[in-house]
Parts: sequence; C-alpha cells; structure tokens
Amino acid sequence: MRIKSLIAATLAMAAVAAIAAPAARADDIEETAAVCSACHGEAGVPVDKSIPAIWGQNEGYLYLQLRDFKVGNRKNVNMSEIAAGMEKPVMKALAAYFSAKPWPNLQEPSAPHDVAVHAENINNSAGCKGCHLENWQGDSVTPRVGGQGIQYLRETMAQFRSGERANNPWMAALLKTYTDADIDALARYLAGY
Amino acid sequence: MVKFATRALVAGAVALAIAGAAQAQEVKSATKYGNMNTVTQDLMNRSADDGNNFLHTNGNYQQTRFYPNKQINTANVSKLHPAWVFQTEVKDSLETSPIVVNGVMYVTTSFDHVYALNARTGEELWHYKQKLGPVSTYCCGPNNRGVAVYGDMVYLATLDAKLVALNAKTGAQVWSTDVADPELGYSETMAPTVINGKVLLGTNGGEYGIRGFVKAFDAKSGKLLWTFNTIPENSQGVWATTDATGRDMHRDIAAEKAAYAKNGDPYKTLGGGVWQNPSYDPATNRIFFVVGNPSPDLDGAVRPGDNLYTDSMVSIDLDTGKYSCHFQYIAHDVWDLDAVSPTVLVDVKDASGATVPGVLHAGKTGHIYVHNRKDCSLIRFSEAMVPQENMWVLPTKDGARMLPGANGGVEWSPIATDPSQGMAYAINLHQPMTYHVENAAYPSGKLWLGGAFKVIPTEEQWGNITAVNYNSGKIAWQVKTEQPMIGGILATAGGLVFTGEPNGTFEALDSATGAKLWSFQAGAGVNAPPSSYTVEGKQYVVVGAGGNAQIDAKRGNAIISFTVD
Repeated sequence: MRIKSLIAATLAMAAVAAIAAPAARADDIEETAAVCSACHGEAGVPVDKSIPAIWGQNEGYLYLQLRDFKVGNRKNVNMSEIAAGMEKPVMKALAAYFSAKPWPNLQEPSAPHDVAVHAENINNSAGCKGCHLENWQGDSVTPRVGGQGIQYLRETMAQFRSGERANNPWMAALLKTYTDADIDALARYLAGY
Repeated sequence: MVKFATRALVAGAVALAIAGAAQAQEVKSATKYGNMNTVTQDLMNRSADDGNNFLHTNGNYQQTRFYPNKQINTANVSKLHPAWVFQTEVKDSLETSPIVVNGVMYVTTSFDHVYALNARTGEELWHYKQKLGPVSTYCCGPNNRGVAVYGDMVYLATLDAKLVALNAKTGAQVWSTDVADPELGYSETMAPTVINGKVLLGTNGGEYGIRGFVKAFDAKSGKLLWTFNTIPENSQGVWATTDATGRDMHRDIAAEKAAYAKNGDPYKTLGGGVWQNPSYDPATNRIFFVVGNPSPDLDGAVRPGDNLYTDSMVSIDLDTGKYSCHFQYIAHDVWDLDAVSPTVLVDVKDASGATVPGVLHAGKTGHIYVHNRKDCSLIRFSEAMVPQENMWVLPTKDGARMLPGANGGVEWSPIATDPSQGMAYAINLHQPMTYHVENAAYPSGKLWLGGAFKVIPTEEQWGNITAVNYNSGKIAWQVKTEQPMIGGILATAGGLVFTGEPNGTFEALDSATGAKLWSFQAGAGVNAPPSSYTVEGKQYVVVGAGGNAQIDAKRGNAIISFTVD
C-alpha cells in the first residue's frame, strides 16, 4: 500500500503540472484524461482497488466531485492537489469525457443470497433506490454504485459514516445508523450487481 | 349532469378526425365549444364542465379532479377494458397526468420525454426528448408530472430547472428559459399551470437548502414576469408552539430566539419548495398553493423561527405575485410532514353552516384541511386518515418512532372531489419510520436533510383509499390497500373514483360507498393520477403504469387507456 501511495503521489504531482493549464479543447481533454488514467485505469479498470471506476460514471457526479475536491469539500491527498488548479470548463469536459466511456467490468463476484437479502432489507428501510434508482445506475449527480469496486464502496461508506468524507451530509447521516456488517453487505451486493 | 353528458355525446359525434401516425403531422380538431384549433383561455376557464377534454393537471383551475361525463358509470364499469396501450421509451417512475385536448393526448415520462398521442388509438404523433444538462439535482426520482397546454403550445418543466415551450402540433421546441440554477439544488418535476398568458411554476429543492419560489413567465416568450419567494426575508413568524390541530410541537422557543438573535434570519437556504400546481380563483384573480418543508428537513437548530411560509397554504395575486394570505400548518417542522398535495377550490360549509368559497388541502399529517378562501383561515380539519402516534416527538440521534412516517399520510398525490356529495377522496400511506437528527453545515446544493428518516423494517406498511366529507370532517368510507399509496385519484359524474396501487392494480370504486366495482392488473406500479376524456362520443379513462422511485414500486412504461363498448 505504501508503495502504491508513493506511485499515486508522484503521478498526482505530474498531473498537477499537466492540468494546471486550461484544457477544454477535445485534444487537450484527451491529454488531460490520460493523466487520470494513470490511476483510474487505461481501460477503465482502476490500478488500485481503493480507487473508483470513473469510466461510464454519471457526468454530473464526476463534475461535482472535481468541484468538491477543488474547494475542499471532499479531501483526498491526490485528487485535492489535482483538482486545485482546475477551472470549471475543464472539470465539465473531463466529466463529459469519462461519462461517455463504457462502464468497465471489475470482475467483482455476485453476492450470495443471504448477503443480497441483507442489503435489500437496508434498501427497503433507507430508500437507497430513491436516488440510486432501480438498477443502481444513479443519474446525473447521483453516482452509479452497481458494479463499482467492492473495496472502494466499503471504504467510501465507512468514510461517510466517520465523517472523513463530508461532501454529502445525507449519506453521512444515513450511514451513521448502520453497522460494519451492514456496510459490508451493501458493498458486496452493489459490487456484484 | 345528465344534461351535460348528452351534450358531450352530441359534441363527440361531430368531433375529431385525428391525423395519421406520421411525425410532425398536424392534427385536425374540434370540441363541443366549436372549431378550436388552439387552447383558448375561454376553453381553459370552462374546463370544469368540459366533458371532452382534460385540460389541466388536475382537470380544471379549481383542481377538483372531477370529470363531468358519466358514460362510464357504476352500472357499466365492470365492462371496462383496455382500448389501447402505449409503451414509452422510458421504463422508470411514471407520475404523469395525461392532458387531452381535441383528441390529442400529451403525456410525459421520467427524464423529461413528452409524447403526443392520438387519444382514440394510442398512436404516436410526436415524441420530444429534453436534452438534460450534466447537473440535475432531484431527491425522489427522475419524475415528471406532466405538461400544460395553452394556445398552440405545450409547456414542460425539466429536471435541470428549465421551462420549455413546444409547438403543440409538431413537438418542436419554440423557446427554453432557465428557471434557476440546478447546481444549487433547484429542479422541476411539476407540471406548469397557464392562466391568462402566464406560465406558473414552483420548484423542488426543499431537501437542498434552496430558497423556494413561484414564478410567472410570459407564455409567448418565456420572459420572467414576477417571482414570489416562498421564504420571506423575515421568516420568524409568531413563534407558534402548536400545530394546526392544536398539538404541542415541543419547540424550545427560548433557544430558538437566542439562535435567531445570534445568527440572523436563515431565509437564504430555508427551502420551501412548491411541488404541485396552484389552483386559481377567477373571481378574485388569486392563486392558491402549498409550500413544502424547511431545509434542512430534520435539524431545526440551524433555522430558528416559524420558517415562514414553509408547511403553509399561501394565496397570492395572479397579476402581480403579491402576497394575499397564508395559513401555516406546522411551524418549524422537523419531520418533513409538510404540504405537497395540490389545493382544491370548492364551496364549503363554515363553522356556522353558511356556504363560503373554500380551499382544501390534504396534508402529510393525514388530515384534510378546510380553509376559508377569503383569508386562508382554517375552518376545520378532518379526522386523521392514517394512524398518528407519538406526535410530535423530536427527532433524536438514535431515531425516534413517530407516525405518520416522512412520506406522510398523503404525499404529493392530488385528491379528487365530488362537490355534489361534498366529498374529498384521498390516497394514503402508512409507513412507520424513525426520525434521526444529525447536524451538518449547508452543503451547497447537496442533499441536506439534517439527519435521516428510515422505514422500520419489522412493522407492517399499508395504504388507504379514503372518502372524507369536507363539510363535517368525518371519514365517510375507507378501503385498505396492501401497500402504501402514491399517485392520485379521479372522481367522475358516473359515481366512480379511479386510482392505482404500487402492486399494479388499477381500480374503480363506487364513490358513495367505496365498493370495489372493477380492477385491472397493469403489470407495473400504478403511481400516477388518472385522467378521463371523450373522443367521438366515447369516454375513456387513462393512467400511466410505470411504478415509482420514491416507494420503489415496480417500474414499467405503459400508458393505458380504458373504455366500455
């Protein structure tokens, strides 16, 4: 993990230099996106399981996350630095670029029946599909969570619950009412969906 | 009523030759009021007596959802059968109120598609897809509840907070205007209302810290004419300690006053969305609508005061948008038991028994409130249509159980009325929930509930179809359904009410007794308000079956029209 973090940090520094300049034209976006791919994957499969898939992710969500990294509402050692110098047109162009890519198959296993039942019961109580929609695809500013990486899902939900991730207070408040076992069931169910 | 139905039949016989299937083809049309090629203000004004068309989201400007044709009635409704089924391109939450004018039907779907259909055959005339921007911020599904028609235009409000005018005959966009900034949590799911050249629109966003409004736009150009902010700059009110029914809401007024003095008025992010259409009283040229919850929903600590005009019925002047009167049901709401079901204008008995112009609203509390139209004052409230327990316990970190749950006893679902019986018909939810509070700073356009509400998985949920005598407040009859109800209801002169259930049942009940007379399994949740109309002398009842995101009812993509032979 430490080696991976070092690699990521190095890439992040290189990315800052690449992204600091305006890059709203199509050619430039390709170039900028290549920097993103160093971590999020050349073919959309992230290089590390704690990094989310962003190919095929919803455009509004991607844009708002970049915005939140830039203004500090969401914090990540690499992404905060990368987004710090980004202007709105670049964020929007990157969001459009990656949302148009096909969603990758992360090869996550389907959850066993008892885990699926556990997760569905949580959905019935919390109303997750009210925002993430029927097939967990989300829309616009709500992320697709079906088929996302299990480790990223588990860590992200834990971060919402602990307050470490603070750019969606509703998710934080909701997840505070759930246990580690609940989060694990949700992560396994959603990743394998 | 008999006289009217006869007129409708005669009119139908001379009406309507619908042009064929080709896209963008013009539609020849006629109605009982003559050869109307456009939707005139006169036609709109007369909609309550129009047995051919269904011109408004809730039938007419009074929003009675009472259709005056009785060709389909208690004697023959058992023979009701599908006349046609139209499948939309979008299989998701369907809340549209079909609008029918001169034999052409306009329906919408999730993600802001609009279809024009031949109302007799279900044939598609045109299909419009809104190209949504990257940011659409909505809490409760990608819904759209329908269009408004006026002149030769069709009006659509979109998830990314735009108002769009379409050519009624071709579906081509005529103009588009920005209503508000979606990045700050504004979005549109309601159908617009058009009166005297003004397109009226509220906004969603009470879950995102918006400052709510009703706006009027010029119907021809889209230019903004006026804005009524549903949150005044002085929102503190009278520090009410009891709700509209006199129950203590357990407010800490001293603490609130101290917070108000320290932090100032919270009006800029106080919410107050307007989810549903206003009703219109031509006699006074005023509109009546209800305002939704304060932001954040469950945490009152950051918004001291009564939070005017949240959880209120409000009346303003149509021409100027100036305030006329209001009545607040719940001051400083911390349960999201707000006001969303559209207002209805009917004559009512006041406390002395005199007949006065009234306003009805079905609250999420489970009461139907009866107001005097003159000054918005409350005349009475009905018996509770759903169980109420532990009201008004304050939300806690670990969750406090209270009934009704946060979807309320009546959600956005419009009620129907039958003024000849003095009856209002509502559909209800019973969803036991716990209310949790969690303090959080304003998150700039993200969901901001100040906590969470959760369904208690071990407790039974169900729904009701309820008839209330609005002149006495007594429940006349009630029919239990196996699931909580969201959608809407329609009453007709045929002595019927029509409504649908999340399990796919679409049904007709005797409006006087609640006896179930007919039902149909639509294959997906029927969570949309039905409409009725008449083409070539034949009455139809139409409803969308596409399920619902908010209560996770089975999705589908069907518009189904029924008739009797």
